[in-house]
Amino acid sequence: MSIATTTGQPGGALERTGGGGGGTLADVIETVLDKGVVIDAQVSVAVVGIQLLEINARIVIASVETYLRFAEIVDRLSITPKGTKGLPDIVGDAAGGATKGKAISGLGRAAKEITGVVVDSLSDHDVDRPRQRRSWEEER
Amino acid sequence: MAAERGLFIYGIVPSDVEPTPDAEGVGNPPGEVTAIRHGEVAALVSEVGLAEPMGRPADLTAYERLLDGTAEVAPVLPVRFGTVVTGEDAVGELLAAHQERFAADLAELENRRQYTVHGRFDEQEFIGEFLTENRAAAELADQVRGRPEVESREQRIRLGEMISQAVELRREAQNAALIDAVGRHTVANAPRQPSHELDAVNVAFLVGADDEEEFIRAVEEFAEQRRELIRMRLLGPLAPYDFVGAHQLVE
Repeated sequence: MSIATTTGQPGGALERTGGGGGGTLADVIETVLDKGVVIDAQVSVAVVGIQLLEINARIVIASVETYLRFAEIVDRLSITPKGTKGLPDIVGDAAGGATKGKAISGLGRAAKEITGVVVDSLSDHDVDRPRQRRSWEEER
Repeated sequence: MAAERGLFIYGIVPSDVEPTPDAEGVGNPPGEVTAIRHGEVAALVSEVGLAEPMGRPADLTAYERLLDGTAEVAPVLPVRFGTVVTGEDAVGELLAAHQERFAADLAELENRRQYTVHGRFDEQEFIGEFLTENRAAAELADQVRGRPEVESREQRIRLGEMISQAVELRREAQNAALIDAVGRHTVANAPRQPSHELDAVNVAFLVGADDEEEFIRAVEEFAEQRRELIRMRLLGPLAPYDFVGAHQLVE
């Protein structure tokens, strides 16, 4: 009934993730949160207020913190501006090689930031596996 | 203690939709998903305890899995996560009151599903390109590099702000370029809020079944043209989460 695979053409530039909650927890939250038809008490008096765990979508707001992070990237990566003449040789540090794969590990962080609840024991993938659901319960 | 129960509503579907026995709802243990019908339309629901906190990762995943799975076989109007009503009678009343509207909306969504295109700039590539093109930024970068933050804080903030503005401008342009490139294969589009500082594109599309192949090919081509700069992902097919905004019930 659901497609829960992450696939892509070998060497392709597009990563594909099927629906059905098969992506990361961050994907699920981003896809469903604050979407859908709103049925509130004005429409139906039978709507019940239930306790929703706090789930905060990550809102991107430009801030000094963001700016400093960008500057830190400049600092950390050995970027030689392409085709720029007259700049001093700014490479000199070996940090560049170690930062590959950064974007991928960054996703995990985003997921934790988003949930606002304790999900440290859960990996982003397969959050719905029974084994992990149990470990979630034990944490609560 | 017999806890109070309510019905969690997932979505609205045509009344001939039948949940499969393996359909699992939210809650722990997962609730059994059933359809409550009224005329042409039905609501997919499951029982939940009102005292049970809702919104664990498993709940969100179950909700999306059910709606996306339904969208594979039938049109569905997602109802906002966390909507719970008192019981079957309440669901029946809700359907009765809005039956025509729901039926019309479902007819419009027949054979159409959502895809979300999400891309993120490669930070090294993006910043490298930016410093190449922007002399003032390159000079600031020189002043920042290798110096501790306390000594170069002001320059760092200025440089970071320039990069941040450049990302925003590029993002707008990339979103527009994507809609331009694939729009002819879609019924509608809905740009989404960025979810990361380095988001390059984030747009939801409503795509007809007959156009899916062409649409995916067009997105692949778009991604291929930017493969060094943007890490591009295609999510879907999904239920039409971003295309029911106009269907909010206001009375």
